[in-house]
Amino acid sequence: MLILLPILLPIVMGSILLVASFVEHLKKNNDYQAESDQELSKIHLFSVAGLVVSAALAIYVGLQKGMSCTLFYLLEDLPIYFAVDSLSLLFVTFISIVFVLVGIYSCVYMKHEHEEKRFFGFYLIVYGVLVGLDFAGNLVTLYLFYEFMTLTSMPFVLHNGSHESTMASLKYLFYSMCGAYLGLFGIFVLYQYAPSLTFTAGGVMSVLSYNGNTAIMLVAIMCMLIGFGAKAGMFPLHAWLPSAHPVAPSPASAVLSSIIVKCGVLAIIRVVFYIAGPSFIAGTWVQYAWMTLSLLTVFMGSLLAFREPIFKKRLAYSSVSQVSYVLFGLAVLTTTGFEGALLHTVFHAFIKCALFLTAGIFIFKCHITRVSDLQGIGKSMPITLWCFTFASLGLIGIPPTSGFISKWYLALGALQSDIGAFRYVGPAILLVSALLTAGYLLEIVVNGFFPKEGTEIKSYGKEPKAMWIPLMVLAGLTLGLGVLPNGLIEFISTIASSLF
Amino acid sequence: MSEMIMPIVVLLPIVFGLTIPFVPLKSKKAKMFYVEGIVLVTSILAILMLLNQPTAEFTLFRFTDYLNVSFRLDGVGSVFVGICALLWPLATLYAFEYMEHEEHQPTFFMFYTITFGVSLGIALSQDILSMYVFYELLTMVTLPLIIHSLSREAIHATRKYLYYSLGGAAFAFIGVIFILVYGDTANFTAGGVLDLVALADKKELLTLVFFLCFCGFSVKTAMFPFCEWLPTAGVAPTPVTALLHAVAVVKAGAFACIRVTYYCFGPELVKGTWAQTVLMCLIIFTIVYGCSRAIKETHIKRRLAWSTVSNLSYILFGVILMTPLGLVGALCHMCFHAVMKITSFFCAGAIMHKSHTNYVHELDGMGRKMPFTFIVYTISGLALMGVPGMCGFMSKWALADAALTDGSPLAIAGVVALLISALLTAIYMMTVTVRAFFPGKDFDYSKLDGVKDPTWMMLLPFGLFVIAMIVFGVNAQPFVDFFTNIAMALM
Amino acid sequence: MAFVQNFPFFSIILTIFSGPLSTMLSNKKAKIWNMILIGIVCALNLAVLAFVISTGESYTYMMGHFPAPWGNEIRVGVLEALMAVFFCVVMFLCVISGGQERAREIEESKQNLFYVMVNLLLCSLIALVYTNDIFTAYVFVEINTLSACGLIMIKNKLHEGRTLEASVRYMIMSLLGSGMLLLGICFLYGLTGHLLMSNMQEAIANLVATGQYQIPLLVAICLLSVGLAIKSALFPFHSWVPDAYGYATLSSASILSSMVSKGYIFLLIKIFFRVIGFEVIIGSHVLNVLFIFGIIGMIMGSLDAIQENSIRRMIAYSSVAQIGYIYMGLGLGTTAGVVASIYHILSHAVTKALLFVSAYGLTNVSNNRRDFKQLTGAAYRNKLAGVAFTVGALSMVGFPLLSGFVSKVLFAQAAVGVSSTKMFFTLVALAISTILNTVYFMKTVIRIYTPMDAETEKEKGFTRITAKEDMGKAIAMICFVVMNLVLGVLSQPIIELIETGLAMFM
Repeated sequence: MLILLPILLPIVMGSILLVASFVEHLKKNNDYQAESDQELSKIHLFSVAGLVVSAALAIYVGLQKGMSCTLFYLLEDLPIYFAVDSLSLLFVTFISIVFVLVGIYSCVYMKHEHEEKRFFGFYLIVYGVLVGLDFAGNLVTLYLFYEFMTLTSMPFVLHNGSHESTMASLKYLFYSMCGAYLGLFGIFVLYQYAPSLTFTAGGVMSVLSYNGNTAIMLVAIMCMLIGFGAKAGMFPLHAWLPSAHPVAPSPASAVLSSIIVKCGVLAIIRVVFYIAGPSFIAGTWVQYAWMTLSLLTVFMGSLLAFREPIFKKRLAYSSVSQVSYVLFGLAVLTTTGFEGALLHTVFHAFIKCALFLTAGIFIFKCHITRVSDLQGIGKSMPITLWCFTFASLGLIGIPPTSGFISKWYLALGALQSDIGAFRYVGPAILLVSALLTAGYLLEIVVNGFFPKEGTEIKSYGKEPKAMWIPLMVLAGLTLGLGVLPNGLIEFISTIASSLF
Repeated sequence: MSEMIMPIVVLLPIVFGLTIPFVPLKSKKAKMFYVEGIVLVTSILAILMLLNQPTAEFTLFRFTDYLNVSFRLDGVGSVFVGICALLWPLATLYAFEYMEHEEHQPTFFMFYTITFGVSLGIALSQDILSMYVFYELLTMVTLPLIIHSLSREAIHATRKYLYYSLGGAAFAFIGVIFILVYGDTANFTAGGVLDLVALADKKELLTLVFFLCFCGFSVKTAMFPFCEWLPTAGVAPTPVTALLHAVAVVKAGAFACIRVTYYCFGPELVKGTWAQTVLMCLIIFTIVYGCSRAIKETHIKRRLAWSTVSNLSYILFGVILMTPLGLVGALCHMCFHAVMKITSFFCAGAIMHKSHTNYVHELDGMGRKMPFTFIVYTISGLALMGVPGMCGFMSKWALADAALTDGSPLAIAGVVALLISALLTAIYMMTVTVRAFFPGKDFDYSKLDGVKDPTWMMLLPFGLFVIAMIVFGVNAQPFVDFFTNIAMALM
Repeated sequence: MAFVQNFPFFSIILTIFSGPLSTMLSNKKAKIWNMILIGIVCALNLAVLAFVISTGESYTYMMGHFPAPWGNEIRVGVLEALMAVFFCVVMFLCVISGGQERAREIEESKQNLFYVMVNLLLCSLIALVYTNDIFTAYVFVEINTLSACGLIMIKNKLHEGRTLEASVRYMIMSLLGSGMLLLGICFLYGLTGHLLMSNMQEAIANLVATGQYQIPLLVAICLLSVGLAIKSALFPFHSWVPDAYGYATLSSASILSSMVSKGYIFLLIKIFFRVIGFEVIIGSHVLNVLFIFGIIGMIMGSLDAIQENSIRRMIAYSSVAQIGYIYMGLGLGTTAGVVASIYHILSHAVTKALLFVSAYGLTNVSNNRRDFKQLTGAAYRNKLAGVAFTVGALSMVGFPLLSGFVSKVLFAQAAVGVSSTKMFFTLVALAISTILNTVYFMKTVIRIYTPMDAETEKEKGFTRITAKEDMGKAIAMICFVVMNLVLGVLSQPIIELIETGLAMFM
């Protein structure tokens, strides 16, 4: 039962905050009043403590290999079942790190948004749901938490209550739902034809089980790829990302972009490597379609980011592109590719989080949302911009940052596989996209440190401690994991070896 | 003697319902107790009957030697009795508050109570003729409920309802006659009453008759192209739209379709024929069409009515699959949809009652003023969308399971339609929630002064329904087992 | 010979001689005498019915004990007695229901003439039902026609021209029918040399068996069928119906629609079974023609009714449709079809009279305006009439528990037993006709239950009345509603009676 604790604890704590906020609304007859400072610090303490404790619990549970638990049965053969494996541990670790850091950051950031109780309430709940998603031991449980994740993260996008945010949140909801239902279709089909829906390293299929039904199974898996790919921002269901991110509060967009999109990746990994098995789709049309879609997204995302003037939107498009690196890595279906994909998942989480937190600082301190207004920002906030620089380098993939390593593995994985022309086209596109990434990120760095002549440079004052410390930690992780990646690579290769 | 309880539960609300306008009770409260008392006693008796499961039959009266109105309780009937008996008392409670400012209350409650008895009559009917009798009666006793406000639209809606319903019944009647003439027995028998070997030369004809009969009964279930009446009938008071157009009337149509398909003509006759194909195409189309219309519709009750159109075709989809699993799915959705849709209708009613708004664009900011109502509405929306952990998911699961076990291309198309419809459901349900809670940054709440959550008479049903939706969603196994038992009798 | 066997003869004699008596009585006394007379006749026939049921077989009664071919015969079976009783009851209710209208619409000096017509009509109906002699039947058909004409014409205070025109139209069509009937009878007489039904049947059976005179026989059958079809307003010979029923006074309209045309149909059934033989009829394909026209009538009558803007004319058109039902049942060519038709004769008589009475109840409280707009809210002004009209309308639509449903079931069941073409047409026509009936009847029901606000009501001078103010109508409506329910719920004994009666025909 211990496995349930890190899932339920944050959910319960979040619900307490939500109920408190709800009761307050009723009492005050809906006249919103900002929380007092004293109350605020209580909320912050409560939330951060909750996060830290649950994160510790989650990682502890993750380390207990093979822990599993059945919560209840939807139907006799549909248990809500949790099980922990190495993949869960990997995901839960970086999710927890990011959540705790962003949580600390939010304590300051959210001062300029309203309704902190509600924000932290949902923040905690989303964390619990993500842990649940991570620990899910079969497809139905995964789907359950996947839906909850969409629904509980929607309030992030809605948070500021403006008309655009409403529209963006609906867009987010519909794209996610569309994806979820495509996934559900796949689950329906797999339930019929697959021997089991429980995750098993290397897949549950045997020749007997899909004999004669290969066609519909492949369609189902393709549906699931596209469906869960919606969360991962894969073409054709990527359009929600650039709408949702700019309107959400920055910590929320950081979480959305670095963690929640990764849950799409997690779902895809679970489907492909733990249900279908790589050998089932290797060489089929599904693999080629998947690779094509992911490469298309990689290229398109970078291109759109390149010509995007709004900072957070640019980062969002960048996420579209970068997550598809991961998907491409998975799609080549080789050990090296898989390792690269997982590495990039982790690194991108840290990097993109850092980038969004930077954007948040700019919004918080200077109310700047457009890239062109960032001229000379490095003068007043050097730490932030330096962190941004390192993160950018990581994303581009310049050694010795971590991004280089993951991209190396990705390219290597593609080259090692026998996927026809994609062996060469893939790495080429990754390279072109990296160049574009350099173009759209380094522009900011260059302008920030070396403003164009004649621009008036405003002074904005220093960023608060609670904001730059998490940022520094993330930037540090980006660099550190680039320099000392061995432990992580080893861990990931054990996962990979169990799958192929 | 336990079979005596069957005519009692049917006739008690009818007879006592007729007395409602005449009881010499002065105070409003006393009348309320009287009405609720009748309904509650009937419900309790009905539930006792379900627990007892009388096996004997009871003949109420005979038209001719072989044509009679008689009752017997069986599995499918129990399901329908259960739905009615559980929802009616709550709906009546809700109606008290909703109707407090309306005219002609005694007449309204009279027909409201009678309808209860008639619905139970449909559920308990032993043979197709009895069912037809109660089916027609249902149309008639619900007529005054729809026309209640006597406004121009109400009259228009009533006429439409009447023409559609009686027209459908006219074609269903053909099927009734054929069953009476060719069936081995007129009584419902799992697997059908036709002796296919003896009637081998009439197969084509019987298939055609089945098609007509199914179409006839599916008018009440609002299958395309017979669906226009249902949204129009949304002008009726909300307790009526909720209970009748989400539970009793339309479910009676679905119930009749189940009876006709599985208990009269039998799946064996129709399976694989053109009739199944055509009906399945119509049903699949309705599933998507209803949702699309719901999105276009801005009147909140009509929107829910279109949603009902779509959801009812889920049930029909299960029915027309003609497999035991299909029946399980159909019954699942019949139960679960009743709970979900009655909840959302009640929320819509509470909103209309408290704020006198009818259109979706007028709901901005209402969520802050009526938080409970809108939270319940959202939960019912989630359930309708089929979020796992809610009952809607389980019925979708059962239907998809049945369809994919069947495996034919049309069945798979049906699953796709289910999912498309789920997505569209998300759109039309969630836009309302988002509007209500997030009206925009500088929304002026003073416009909504005086709007508040309803009293306990409305909130109590809400609470119970929410619990039901979650309990059914989390622990559906007993239901599925029960339905599977019923369906296994068909094998 | 039991004394009770004389009763049919007595009732014919009684009614025919009460005609002259009525002319001599004052209006009020004539009315009372008529009531008593119909009551007595009803009782007599009831006794006959009981007698025939108890003996279980039919009997022939020779007038003055002269044997055929010189004497005249009456034949009494269960079906005949049943019809006679039924006609008496309906006649009684129709007469009492129209008292107010008669007082208003018929000239003071002519009111007792109305009762003369009623007497003659009842007499001719009973005679038509009982007679075993085809020429006697013809004579009474003529009497029937003339008295019916009188009934239509007699209302002359209002719509003076209209009723005259209507009765002339009726007369022309009817005489055309009578002429054909007479020709047909002549043909048969020429072929067989008999006028008594039983003798004719033997002769015809001989002819058929030997294959002689096939064409003249067919012509005779056609003449008889078409003649009676015209008289009973089968489509397309129905043009006189809406005027005659729509403008005549209430009692006349209900009597005409519920009984006069039914008497002819009964005679036709009798000729089919007793004179020509059902097998021969089926062989001649005349039934198919009747079937087709019946079906067309069902649909066309209803379509006309939908377009009609006056409630009485609408009900009149509905009669056309219902006559179509009856001929369709005959046209099926099975005993089951005939049983259904006879049942529908009963059911329709009860329902149509109910509709006419209640429609008058409704128009009376709406300034006697018959267009639908004025009827708005009429059911609140005359509550009993509203309920009665609703019951009648539902019965027409074929609503379970009412008589219309049972006849619909019987028709449909009969149809399932025959060839698939006929079956298909019958069932589809039944369904379509039900829908059409729904459209116009329920439209009216909703209309009369749509309230009119009090001010407009006052402006228009509409009144409200209770059942007590018009007892005659109230009694008639309640009785008709009860009969409707009885026919709808306890149909089994009646169907059995019809079946045994038909068996006695064979």
